[in-house]
Amino acid sequence: MSAKAKWLKVLTSAGLATLAFQCAGAQTGQAKATVVTPDVARTIKAAADALGMPRTGGPGGALLPEIDVVNRMEILGTGSSSASGQTSKTEYHAALGYNPPAMRLEMTRTNPGGTPQHTIQTVRDNYAWDESAIGAGLEPGRGTATPKIAAVKDRLLHLWVLPYGVVKAAFVAGDKTTVSIEDGATVLTVPLSGELAGVRLKATLDSKNFITKVVAQTGGGMDIEADYSDYADHGEILTDVKSPGHIVEKRGGSTVLDIQVKTWDANNPYLVFPVPPDVKKAAAQESSKVAEK
Amino acid sequence: MMSYFGYRLLALAAALCLLPAMIFAQEEAPGMIHNVTVRPAPKGVTPRTPDGHPDFTGVWNGMADNLLGVPNQMHNEGIAVESDHSTYDVLSGAKIATWPLAKPKRQNGEQNERAATLLRRMGASRPIYKPEYWEMVKELDANANEEDPSNNCMPAGIPRVGSPSYIGQFPNYLIFIYPGQGGLIATQTMYRMIPLDGRKHTPLQDLDGSYSGEGIAHWEADTLVVDTWGFNTATWFDQLGGYFHSENMHVVERFQRNGNTLTWTATIDDPDVLLEPWTTTPRIQILNRNPKAMLPESLPCSERDLAHAVTREHH
Repeated sequence: MSAKAKWLKVLTSAGLATLAFQCAGAQTGQAKATVVTPDVARTIKAAADALGMPRTGGPGGALLPEIDVVNRMEILGTGSSSASGQTSKTEYHAALGYNPPAMRLEMTRTNPGGTPQHTIQTVRDNYAWDESAIGAGLEPGRGTATPKIAAVKDRLLHLWVLPYGVVKAAFVAGDKTTVSIEDGATVLTVPLSGELAGVRLKATLDSKNFITKVVAQTGGGMDIEADYSDYADHGEILTDVKSPGHIVEKRGGSTVLDIQVKTWDANNPYLVFPVPPDVKKAAAQESSKVAEK
Repeated sequence: MMSYFGYRLLALAAALCLLPAMIFAQEEAPGMIHNVTVRPAPKGVTPRTPDGHPDFTGVWNGMADNLLGVPNQMHNEGIAVESDHSTYDVLSGAKIATWPLAKPKRQNGEQNERAATLLRRMGASRPIYKPEYWEMVKELDANANEEDPSNNCMPAGIPRVGSPSYIGQFPNYLIFIYPGQGGLIATQTMYRMIPLDGRKHTPLQDLDGSYSGEGIAHWEADTLVVDTWGFNTATWFDQLGGYFHSENMHVVERFQRNGNTLTWTATIDDPDVLLEPWTTTPRIQILNRNPKAMLPESLPCSERDLAHAVTREHH
């Protein structure tokens, strides 16, 4: 037998053994119908990859590791929102950032025959406030900023129920993040920390590893559920970051927000969330009251 | 007996079976050489001039020079890549998810540019403009292909040009040289002659605004401070971001030498447009210890890209 033929025979034997092993594995799987739980780190990475979060390269950057590039985003959309049992046509504008954690949610709700209601709800770190205009309370004549310290947790939670928030929180939680298979779908379970300690996120991934559902279990009976679909790069300036084109948010089982996304700019645009001095003062007074008690 | 052709078919099947495992193994191999953007540890002693001040004279290369690629710009914007597994934001200290690559990722030019746009802008450090300018800054950055005043080989200006590549230190004045670059991101060569003789600034209203302004240096202990005003409005004050300014911008640069490293920061104050002064992330340069080190001639600056830009995607 020639050397080439001997080599072919060895490789063939290895191949047959591999095929036999794989067939046996498949048969075992069919017989017992067991499903191997996916690895946590791989699942987080797969979800991050689907969203376009880990990035490298650029001129001079070919040897960089992959880094989570998502920080600041701006979302514009239209749809409906419900409050106190009334559903209104809604213009939706969210500006957000993860470093530092902050969000400014501007909504204009219009009921048939009614006057539009315009709200701006903002949060940054441990501060929450309402703005009468964008940037209110930062300079004279710019409008008023009304402290809403009690709303900090609820507003921050909106950052972490977004698909990017789930991935970031899962990375931070490390080995406290778990992965399971529920109804045939991969589910990441992520405990939040800091201000939101005690809240648990359950995120469902589809076959392309897009996060399609996030349930925030707050322990208070008013879980937040968010459904995401129609993923694409919705940015005016394309970034290859994929974002949902449709968001549905439910509270206690009822739909409170249903938004079709017009644009979702993920190019880390200039978005800032300085805390107005009066809001800082109110938060400090609140802290000292708590300390006194 | 199996034919030779049969063996070849089976061998091919075997190879196909083994292929996923081989690819998997490649994906898992950690520890490729990476770009590290954390500040380097200083080495050696800090030389001093006869009057006792740190001596900044020399050719300064390395980390902090501007417009030399994504890793440098990430360093300048405060993103520290420590290793294949670890990245943090210098300003906030926030850990940033990092995944090792087994080998450089093959990306086309479009993918590279889109990644670069994100990597350069992901840092937490932002100047805080007055709210009436927030939308304008965002739009300037988004439309930088058309709006960036340094396009068409115009001077970057102070402090956007960053830290000088050559410093000549004399008892009563300093010489700073900032070589220009040709190529895709073209910049014009700049130089400054900065008095260090205790003089005062010319009143602002008596100055014609310029790209470099009127810079005057003084010492604060071992820190060399260059105080500059008298600018025109034809520059942005950082490498990216659409950070425009008024004629009343006031810039204070601080230079510190520690062994073979130079740390540079600039604090920008512009009450006309900013809510508060903003200080850049410290940028580090390393001394070129080769006694024969020279600055090369700058390539001619010739803008060739703008005419071919068809989208708003940009550096």
